Amino acid sequence: MLDDVKSVMQRVLKLGALLVLVITLVGSGVGFLVAGNPGVLAALAGGLLALLFTGLTALSVLIGSRFGLTGFMGAVLGGWVFKMVLFLVIFSLLSRAEWLTTQARPIVFFTIVAAVLGTLILDSLLIAKARLTPVVQSDK
Amino acid sequence: MQIIQLAAETATQVSAISGNLGVLGYGIATIGPALGVGLVVSKTIESIARQPEMAGRLQVTMFIGVALIEALALIGLATPFIFTA
Repeated sequence: MLDDVKSVMQRVLKLGALLVLVITLVGSGVGFLVAGNPGVLAALAGGLLALLFTGLTALSVLIGSRFGLTGFMGAVLGGWVFKMVLFLVIFSLLSRAEWLTTQARPIVFFTIVAAVLGTLILDSLLIAKARLTPVVQSDK
Repeated sequence: MQIIQLAAETATQVSAISGNLGVLGYGIATIGPALGVGLVVSKTIESIARQPEMAGRLQVTMFIGVALIEALALIGLATPFIFTA
């Protein structure tokens, strides 16, 4: 069966969210062992940020693919810049948060890195497996 | 002579700069992903202009490229959580 961009990106979004959820649960367990309750909160924050970060890219491609080449580039690159500014603000607030103890801080980092690298591997596998048909797209 | 004086004044001013080094770190960390995204996007536009029927495949391939590059940017943004002053 041949796929289109929409079905591939929907699959990427669904399975990516599932993978981030699993990594967050594992991170929460490790966080609890390392830093107690703040460790669990740190893993949850890291997981949520990773989900938002990877999900927004896939969503921007999904939405952008409906609008031809110009709309696609606008959605992906505009989404990218918006996301970077959003994350700069979130990280700035999070790094000053009092509930995030010194022991719990690395949990945020490692949960984000594990979730992002995991979703990257999953995305690559899903896209390598996808069978996309060549179709002439209208730019209107 | 004036040039030497000016250089000495500038050196004093530069050594007097203080603040959060994270600002410089963020500036440096943006260079790599910015160049990467620029290259990926320019090549994708070029490829779609050459072969418009391949747009779908190129878009999802570009997604992988952008995702890899932004992972680097995200790790750069998240490093304050492990590098404490």
